[in-house]
Amino acid sequence: MYCYGGKILSVDLSTGEGVKKTLDEKLASRYLGGDGFGAYFMNKIVDAKTDAFSPDNAIIIAPGLLTGTPVPTAGKTAFFSKSALNNGWNESVMGGRFGFALKQAGYDVLIIKGKAEKLSYLVIKDNEVAIKSAEHLRGETTRKTAEEIKKDEGDVVVASIGIAGEKLVRFACVDCEERQAGRGGIGAVMGSKNLKAIAVYGGNDIEVAKPDKMYELMAKYYEIMINHPSFEDDGKYGTGEFLEWMNKERGTFPTRNWREGVFDERKEIDPYYWAPRYAVKNKACIQCVKPCGKAFVMKKFEGMVDGVEYETLYSLGSNCGVASIEHVAKGNELCDLYGIDTISTGGVIGFIMDLYENGLISKEEVGVDAKFGNGDAMLELIEKIAHREGIGDVLAEGVKKAAEKIGGEASKYAVHVRGMEPPAYDVRGIKGMALAFMTSPRGACHLRSGAYALELVGKFWKFEGVDRFSSDNKGKEIAEMENFMAIYDALGVCKFSRGIFLLNFDEILDAAIGKALKEEELLVIGERICNLKHIFNIKAGWKKEDARLPEKIHKPIPEGVSKGSYVSEEEEKKMLSDYFAARGWDKNGVPTRKKLEELGIEEFMS
Amino acid sequence: MYVKTIPEKCSGCMVCEIVCSMKHWNVVNRYKSGIRIEKRSVIEDIQHVCSHGNECNFECIDACKFDAMKKNNGIVYVDYENCVGCGACEKACPLNAVWIHEKKAYKCDLCGGEPECVKYCSQEAIVVEV
Repeated sequence: MYCYGGKILSVDLSTGEGVKKTLDEKLASRYLGGDGFGAYFMNKIVDAKTDAFSPDNAIIIAPGLLTGTPVPTAGKTAFFSKSALNNGWNESVMGGRFGFALKQAGYDVLIIKGKAEKLSYLVIKDNEVAIKSAEHLRGETTRKTAEEIKKDEGDVVVASIGIAGEKLVRFACVDCEERQAGRGGIGAVMGSKNLKAIAVYGGNDIEVAKPDKMYELMAKYYEIMINHPSFEDDGKYGTGEFLEWMNKERGTFPTRNWREGVFDERKEIDPYYWAPRYAVKNKACIQCVKPCGKAFVMKKFEGMVDGVEYETLYSLGSNCGVASIEHVAKGNELCDLYGIDTISTGGVIGFIMDLYENGLISKEEVGVDAKFGNGDAMLELIEKIAHREGIGDVLAEGVKKAAEKIGGEASKYAVHVRGMEPPAYDVRGIKGMALAFMTSPRGACHLRSGAYALELVGKFWKFEGVDRFSSDNKGKEIAEMENFMAIYDALGVCKFSRGIFLLNFDEILDAAIGKALKEEELLVIGERICNLKHIFNIKAGWKKEDARLPEKIHKPIPEGVSKGSYVSEEEEKKMLSDYFAARGWDKNGVPTRKKLEELGIEEFMS
Repeated sequence: MYVKTIPEKCSGCMVCEIVCSMKHWNVVNRYKSGIRIEKRSVIEDIQHVCSHGNECNFECIDACKFDAMKKNNGIVYVDYENCVGCGACEKACPLNAVWIHEKKAYKCDLCGGEPECVKYCSQEAIVVEV
């Protein structure tokens, strides 16, 4: 089968057993790869009711269908597991080289279940699979862990967790070559399995159906990409290029735990300021010709980080009121080394700063002077969270559980949807995204729909004249954008290319697998994938009442061009109902039999 | 002529590896590429590629006992009729730019004079030096 490794590898860490199966051709055609395989296997092999930290939970890793082909930006690897934050569906897509190596080793899906007796790492070298002790790496950073394993194992790609994963910080991430599967605590699930790292070497060929045609297309898209305006923007300033625009022109840059939508002190965290001063070169994901990463070398602090990405400029910057770029960059590096998601980390720190300033928690309880804007306090809190020390032990549970533990009025300050801290889009002024936060299968997330760009600009793909302040017609828009984006995650193509490829993958797929799938066919697969993720959540206990916006979203943005905008409770309910209708689900958000049959997935829901 | 590396500019995307193996072997396989990127740290992405005598003394040719490492018009290439994959060239290369994979040697052959990897390096981190 062209573009595939051809096998599925299941490893049970409890028994040490590894089983290889041949990838079924029909399965591949129905789900493509990556996100599709995750949706299928999560439903097939994980008991949705099991706890995220139970040995019965699985970690499923799947490169996209096009990952490891010459298609520009097709280098993504998707990780799946039950969420450590809300015990429902979780996925996180990474740009590191891991999936490429896994596919070259011959595997399209890696399934890890069970729990190792002691801290271990898994080594996969083509056909050989071994579980080895990682006790000597206990407490080590992600970077050091990868270095040490490479010394022992040679030329391998390493995905690893830091101390936060070992300590079950609920938003611990997985790092691979300074890129992360960041969200939802996959690193904590690895920690719960006593799995410190996975090392892969793959030496096999990845074949495409029509190599000459593929070479032509690679050349064609290379030209398109390097001549696209985003090439210069990403190249010079990275993903934070539009930070000023988000503040000044849109007023939707969440600030000080979502009090404000404009960060007045943003001068230093704007890449137009820091990139020329601190970025020594561009950094790319595998197979990307328009790199948005930056090698950031600190001056005041010692350290370097692949960043700082837009979301982190918000989470550790504006959301904590921190205006010093060195502090934000250092915080970013600490998060990467300890293995915690920067978005959730900034979410919980902003939350505790908000409580502190409002007198709901004392300095003794927090252990630092946690005023907004105190960069040193932000760094200290990262240390405490990663090591689960003092207040860090509470914050390591994620903002929802932390608020419950602190009690009193704390929950009013907890900004999350279904337990996940949100990314950098103040949805009070981007109403379609407010809905997307509610409907994303993993909780507050910008990437399952990617609709922020559409909402903020007003047009994309088939949509035009979209009004971000209106709550009308959002159900269909978000449902269709989710179907669209699921294809990107199934193919393993970077979403930052969505304005270039749209869904015109027919000639690429013809060259890759010999089947020219058209937009309509891809969208059915996307819809199937989205429904399967939701089915998993329903089996895990999802109720429509859980898909609620945090209280702060019901209060107006206080200043800037989006001043006065908010999402009312009525709008929230209306948008959700519209979405259920657009999806062909019933009024409680349960897929109808008719819809399941239409998508051929009725077997997954009894 | 050779492919000159500028590691300070390399983003570590590895497109060069993919292009090389596609061009020469019609498959994607970084171990069949004549250029390899070593991702050492955030700031160090090191490109390894043959200098065709510019920064070495043709140690691979001297080391080969099977007449499989040859030179023509200044281009050092592998003669696969003769290569047995013994690994002497890999050991001898001072630049770490020849590798054995599945009993065959792989290295840069400059694509006959127009290296494809250079065409697809969006960061201009590899350039043709005449």
